[in-house]
Amino acid sequence: MAVTQEPVLEMRGAMKAFGGVQALNGADLKLFAGEIHALLGENGAGKSTLLKALAGVHKIDSGSIMLSGKPFLQGSTRAAQQQGVAVIYQEPSLFPDLTLAENVYVGRQLQKGKLVDWKQMQKEAAKLFAELGVDLDVDRIARGLSIADQQIVEIIKALSINARVIVMDEPTAALSSKEVNRLFSVARTLRDQNCAVVFVSHRLDEVFALCDKMTVMRDGTTVGSELISNISESEIIKMMVGREVSELFPKLPSTFGEVVLKVENLGSAGQFKDISFELRKGEILGFAGLVGSGRSEVVRAIFGVDTYDSGTVSVNGKLLPKGKASKAMSAGVALVPEDRRQEGLLMPNSIATNTSITVLKKLVKSLVVSKKGEDEVANKWAKILQLKYASLSDAVERLSGGNQQKIVLGKWLATDPQILIVDEPTRGIDVGTKSEVHRLLSQRAQEGLALIMVTSELPEVLGMADRILVMREGRQVAILSREEASSEKIITLATGSAELI
Amino acid sequence: MKLLKKALRVRELPGILGLLLIYVGTGVVNPRFFSPSILNDILYGVAIVAILAIAQTFVIVMRHIDLSVGSVIGFTSFLIGDLSSQGFSLLAVLTVAVLVGATVGAINGFLVAYLGLPSLVVTLATLYIVRGIFNEVGAGKTVVESMVPKELNWLGLNQFFGVPYLFIIVVALMLIAGVTMHKSRAARDLYAIGSNPSAAQLVGIPVKRRILLAFVATGAVSGLAGAVMLARFSSASTQSGLGLELLVVAACVVGGVSIAGGSGSVFGAVIGAVLLQEILLAIGALGIPQFWQLAVNGALIIAAIGLDRYLSTRVKTSNIMGATS
Repeated sequence: MAVTQEPVLEMRGAMKAFGGVQALNGADLKLFAGEIHALLGENGAGKSTLLKALAGVHKIDSGSIMLSGKPFLQGSTRAAQQQGVAVIYQEPSLFPDLTLAENVYVGRQLQKGKLVDWKQMQKEAAKLFAELGVDLDVDRIARGLSIADQQIVEIIKALSINARVIVMDEPTAALSSKEVNRLFSVARTLRDQNCAVVFVSHRLDEVFALCDKMTVMRDGTTVGSELISNISESEIIKMMVGREVSELFPKLPSTFGEVVLKVENLGSAGQFKDISFELRKGEILGFAGLVGSGRSEVVRAIFGVDTYDSGTVSVNGKLLPKGKASKAMSAGVALVPEDRRQEGLLMPNSIATNTSITVLKKLVKSLVVSKKGEDEVANKWAKILQLKYASLSDAVERLSGGNQQKIVLGKWLATDPQILIVDEPTRGIDVGTKSEVHRLLSQRAQEGLALIMVTSELPEVLGMADRILVMREGRQVAILSREEASSEKIITLATGSAELI
Repeated sequence: MKLLKKALRVRELPGILGLLLIYVGTGVVNPRFFSPSILNDILYGVAIVAILAIAQTFVIVMRHIDLSVGSVIGFTSFLIGDLSSQGFSLLAVLTVAVLVGATVGAINGFLVAYLGLPSLVVTLATLYIVRGIFNEVGAGKTVVESMVPKELNWLGLNQFFGVPYLFIIVVALMLIAGVTMHKSRAARDLYAIGSNPSAAQLVGIPVKRRILLAFVATGAVSGLAGAVMLARFSSASTQSGLGLELLVVAACVVGGVSIAGGSGSVFGAVIGAVLLQEILLAIGALGIPQFWQLAVNGALIIAAIGLDRYLSTRVKTSNIMGATS
């Protein structure tokens, strides 16, 4: 790894704002040919925006991106590829019905004269696969390929356009450990072919195993860049956090009542194991951990949308039957799911319908649902939630993400639950709405609602939770009190770093 | 072994096997089915549906559909006869037929590609609109044999070494369209669009232009097919081509053109059309009441889709480890 020459890609002072949110705030990145470069940072640090700028999805507002000393033409995914920058996403999007060879060359199939030269295309593709040491039949269609194989096809695609910069966005998140090793050897081959490889990961052990260099981002800014050999895990973690968080979300003081939810030794094969905790009236319990650590799976099992293999869940001392969400609901449990578009809302339907759907039974008058009742419920919650809308009959798909999230919260609060579980309640919504959601949840807790809050954002969990349950790879590794919790502690526990800070 | 594996991947294979199976099966029960005249009847009778199925393939591989083709072919077959009887040359009336088809295709394509309307609904609407215009233009008129251009009459009646000229047209069109669909970048884009529309956008395929182009091509070929229809029936009225569109879609599906987009060939579409025609004749030869024909077609469609689903889920999830072992 001789890193002496000019950088192949250099980003300087990149700024990018979405609405009022400054996603990039002076980000710098320097990549050299023949290195594997880790890009690190918490969720929301600006990594995705930076990647999308390189992929040609976003254009930065100001700052510069130079590619081999020349300005990088921004804002078109095709142009980005033609300039030699390829971004491989966690879940690649191939063409399932086309052969692997055609997938590699799609949109720019090799031609002999005016006709597609299939033989040549198969030969070239097979050669690229062989170069990476991957044995896949280029004549088979892409349907049925594993995620790992799909990533390989995307990498081959990048090689076929002679990409000099190959960015992998959390490529290992969905891979088995065997597949991870395979990907690593592919990445090293790319490095040896003099590509600059960017590797985004939350797993620090992987970063240390694979990367030569690393850059840490925080709040849209580059905090630092260092050779991996010159830095320790704890130093990286310090760089990733290190911010005052307590002022963002004013949490109201709350008094705890009796235990309302008791979970004992909950386990589900291949998902999670030995989860035990108690939740009191008025308490907010945070669920922290990396994406994929099993947090959502646990709350889904508690609520009964998924089943589980062992352990018990009881509400107010009574056992809940497993896998029966309707029973959980009548016991006063509500779940606000992670993916509001897919699971939380009827997108084409009105605000009124969406808000009242959980309490329809109460609104039935002489066999039909009372329209007036629906509107009353919706009106009441629109006020409490400070919803911004034109008419209650508007389709929710036309509202902003923040307002949609408020409706999802509203429809479950309308059931007057005793226990509310929220999964990533503020993902993808702006800062203003975020603090409103926090205020709302905090108020409800003060009034005696017991809350479980699953969140990937450390400041959120630190600011809101009375206690924090940290998960790693399906295990509950600690329950921290508000006083003993810190960003460093949570990251260390969640990433499984043995070193203590 | 590798060859066998490859052959099993051919989506047209079930259609071809079905074709042979029914031919042999019916012939064993009723040897008269093996007579050359039956083969001739199949090839002669299949021409119209086969050409429309070739045209339909352009849009189905994009995960779209064009239901307006039945109205288009009926209308243009009428126009060809009506206009020639008024003294227009054959070239002129064929040009009109192509233009009418292309115009309907352009309207379909524009509404689908640029306004994002679902093709099922858009082409259902143009099916009615074209038929409505046809009813007005053709009210009280019938094209009879004396009005049909003599070249078309000749084409409809004659054979080339025992093969009806109408089927030779089918084969020629199948070869041209087949090579285009397999070997032109623009046509490969149609497969990509049908397979994964959002990814097609991302790799820089001009998705909207391609959708428009494909609908225009489907319309133009379907319009021109009016000439074949007139050659075959030697007459046309406002009833011509009624309900044909569903038979065409059925032929495509039976021939392995995936209704979910992304795969299938014009060769398969022709196979599907021939299979449906063969069944029609086989039912007669087996002494089964003709009423059963439609039910058999329906069963065939379900069998085709079921088989397709079975084959596509049978593709084992491989992974890089498994593939090397």
